[in-house]
Amino acid sequence: MTASIMRKMDIPVPKVALSSATGEGRGGWRLSALLVLAVFLVGWPLLLPNPFFLTVGTLIALNAIGAASLHLIIRTGHISLAHAAFVGVGAYACVLSVMTLGLPYWVGLLMGAGASGSLALIIGPIVLRLTGKYFVLVTFLLGEIIRMVFVEWVPVTGGSNGIFGIPTAHPIVSTPHGQYYFVLAIAALCIGLCACILSSQIGRAMDAMREAEQVAECAGVPVIRLKVTIFVLACGLAGVQGGLLAHFLRYIDPTAFGWVESLNLVVMNVIGGMFHLAGPLIGTVFLVAFPEFLRGYVELQRVIFGISIIVVMAALPGGMVEIGARTRDIIAGARGRKR
Amino acid sequence: MFGRLVVAALVALGLASGASAQEELKIGGIGSLSGGGTAWGLALQRGIELAIDDVNKAGGLKIGGKVYRPRLVMVDDQYSATGGRTAAQRLISVENVKFIIGPIGSPSVLAVVPIMNQAKVLLLSDGFAVSILKNEFNSAYNYRVMNSNVEFGPAMIKWLHQKRPDLKKVALIAPNDAVGQAVVPTLVTAYKANGFEVWTEFYERGTKEFTPLLTRMLAQNIDLFDLNSNAPGEAGLLLKQAREVGYKNMIWQVGGPSVDEIIAIGGPLAEGFISYDVFDFNDPHAKAFVSAYHARWSGIINAQAPGWYNGAKILFKAMETAGTLDVEKVREALKTIEGYDPGIFGPVAWGGKSDYDVEHQLLANFWITEVKNGKANALTVITPEKH
Amino acid sequence: MFTSAILAQVILNGVCLSAIYVLVALGFTLLFGIMKIVNFAHGAFAMLGGYALYYLYAEFRLPYPAAILLASVGVAACALVLEPLVFRWFYQKMFQSMIGLLGLNMAIVFTGVIVFDVYERSIPPVFSGVVRLGPLIAPTDRLLIVGIAAAVLAAFWAFMTRTRYGLAMRAAAQDVETAETQGIDTRVIYLLALFISIFMAALAGGIYAQTYALSPFMGDRPLMVAFIVVILGGMGSIPGAALGGILFGFAESFLSTFYGSAVSSFVSFGVVIALLIVRPWGLLGTPE
Repeated sequence: MTASIMRKMDIPVPKVALSSATGEGRGGWRLSALLVLAVFLVGWPLLLPNPFFLTVGTLIALNAIGAASLHLIIRTGHISLAHAAFVGVGAYACVLSVMTLGLPYWVGLLMGAGASGSLALIIGPIVLRLTGKYFVLVTFLLGEIIRMVFVEWVPVTGGSNGIFGIPTAHPIVSTPHGQYYFVLAIAALCIGLCACILSSQIGRAMDAMREAEQVAECAGVPVIRLKVTIFVLACGLAGVQGGLLAHFLRYIDPTAFGWVESLNLVVMNVIGGMFHLAGPLIGTVFLVAFPEFLRGYVELQRVIFGISIIVVMAALPGGMVEIGARTRDIIAGARGRKR
Repeated sequence: MFGRLVVAALVALGLASGASAQEELKIGGIGSLSGGGTAWGLALQRGIELAIDDVNKAGGLKIGGKVYRPRLVMVDDQYSATGGRTAAQRLISVENVKFIIGPIGSPSVLAVVPIMNQAKVLLLSDGFAVSILKNEFNSAYNYRVMNSNVEFGPAMIKWLHQKRPDLKKVALIAPNDAVGQAVVPTLVTAYKANGFEVWTEFYERGTKEFTPLLTRMLAQNIDLFDLNSNAPGEAGLLLKQAREVGYKNMIWQVGGPSVDEIIAIGGPLAEGFISYDVFDFNDPHAKAFVSAYHARWSGIINAQAPGWYNGAKILFKAMETAGTLDVEKVREALKTIEGYDPGIFGPVAWGGKSDYDVEHQLLANFWITEVKNGKANALTVITPEKH
Repeated sequence: MFTSAILAQVILNGVCLSAIYVLVALGFTLLFGIMKIVNFAHGAFAMLGGYALYYLYAEFRLPYPAAILLASVGVAACALVLEPLVFRWFYQKMFQSMIGLLGLNMAIVFTGVIVFDVYERSIPPVFSGVVRLGPLIAPTDRLLIVGIAAAVLAAFWAFMTRTRYGLAMRAAAQDVETAETQGIDTRVIYLLALFISIFMAALAGGIYAQTYALSPFMGDRPLMVAFIVVILGGMGSIPGAALGGILFGFAESFLSTFYGSAVSSFVSFGVVIALLIVRPWGLLGTPE
């Protein structure tokens, strides 16, 4: 319920409510958790300045942007298998602006976001009218078409060999530490934006739309317009990830933007939790860090991933985020008390 | 049981009273150990291990008065740019290696080259892309120890043109992946320079059914079909399906090599097939390598393994010549050991100045083989030109 | 380029392509129609069928008909074992099934990598040699495959239309709850549908492996094609899957031969996207 309605009904309005999905009244706890997280994210590279860990950390932050932006789309009730393709569009647009047109990096990044967003704006109104499974299929095919454009348009994108020798964003951020903090800052902004949207009026409208579309429409939610807006925004953020990724790896090629990568972003959301922003963030850490620290048994890892996906989908439809809630339920039940 | 204890004690004593303490020298290796590229990753790993075996048999690496025991630290790059980047980072920052051999695939190598040059770590790699050697760093710290298409393609085509001047129109069917898109333009230029008319067609990686494309090719009156950069499985299918669709003229491969797979898949249809080859199993030098390989592992020897063995041996020789593990000195030594012959691919020669602006390409011998009666026979051996 | 000999060859190629596509797509659509699950592990079962055929035919040297039947039955039996562990959790839950079965696909494929190793193998052909029909040339093996596919499809059609269980399955595909109220035991129908579907996938996998190559990742492409064909024909529609398979096979043959591979891919995907937007329930599906 919105704050204004609650006040009219004389129900006390909680003072701090940073996220809608896990209820009001725990705002204080949330804020301190976020502060601890922030301190950790900023502080650990000072204690453990190993470039390898910094690289992994940067990759996690980059993927978190993609996972969180996909989360926005998922909260409107659509699963997109083209998200990595939009990351790619942003990457190529940014790189071409910087290297071919000679524009400064910030402009390139905006161009990247703009390109992805514009493509989403063109495609969105058409495909967002489709229901669940059809939307998945259409985005799958779209992602493939975009990837094929990357591969075939050799003079512009370099084809399958991609673009090599991309400069770093700025001399200041070309050290491993610099790159990590730079990406972390932008990722924090992007994810913060997602969090703001989700906890606002718009977020509630999205949830309503997802759960009962026709009812929401009757209640005055402009369904298609909202879906397209969120889709454009999310794809724009994906474009930001693309621009950052390109200047971090200093090399891009079409294989980084295929349906397998899109699927990875979906899996990050599914395993972590689809109905809470913390979900994709947990999922990203899980999917990016895990393989790095468990090298040597890659096949076994994938088998374990596969099985955990089955278990999560079968038993924990809300993802790993639910583990906390479920455990609390079990404990509360065992203690015989109601929450 | 008691006997084993005695042997162990003797060995321990032997080691303890060794002439000098043997220090461990970590050598980094990057290759794909999962997914489709595993065969090549294993080839890299095993080739280097065999070179290390040679060194250990000779009592270790004698560098500047100390004796070192090399140890390979192998990391999987999953054949991707991100994978290569993190693998290299791990080797440099966690394992503290100063010498890395690999990776194999161009995306991975391209992601690794900037890191090598920034961290001043020596890299001996593979990879088809020209940018691997021709880049903003002037490849200061990276070298390529396997022939790319630029080295063997033009030489092979020139050889064929002299042998078969009657062949006029060539067809190139290639996958539209990194290798295919990099290789075909070089080949087209080389064919045209030798007076051929060229027809090219690309397909999506993962395709296995080529009869439509081959029917299309048949309509072009082709007299030479070049399998170029196709992966071994696809090369075999292309040959088999081409013959089944009714193509009767010559088929060869400036690339691969895929000779074993072609014989396995094509059967009698492979008769007369000619190919680039990196190894002549019947060569007397090769036999030593083959028996050393089979002493440790079973199965078909991936054609890349001897090339990595060669690369590792060159690295070790450079270290011994430099007399130190200082990367700068080892780099200089790589240049000075030209003429040293590890035994299979001829003497070390670096070239590629006109193609890459630096001479960091190893010019290794290669062979041209023909399939006769189900077996591969070497026709000739060629050394790439230094230009 | 557009001679009649080439056109005839194109049609023949189209028939060969369609045969495999239809077999894979049918199983896929059956599972969706009756249990509303999107079997992303379909390719993995095809792959298992390929390996089963390899071991039975190439290693143990069983006669070909026995080998291929036994291989397909064996893999279908494995699916039945997996049913209570995996499939049962996802009946009638389309979205969960998509992701969950994707997990199953990952698990099966990489277990395959661990057990079978990555390198590509080939299964020896049953017949070598070609058959000449005027200007047309067809490898005998290909004709055998078309024959097998046609036989299996005919058997499938007969089962669905002529037997009581087939009728029950069609009823369940239309409306599960109503079928239950009519006294149809959906447990049995589900198991039967799973068995038949995976049987066809494994059979298609064996044929595919024999025609092309066998590796743990070979199932990816048949899965993608099955997906597209089923969308084209209509998810849940059996005649739709057959029609979709034939259309897709012929389109690929025609477009690739005359215009090259890139055009073929772009056009096929573009058409399917357009169809999804305009008529998402496919050519023969039912609108929801």
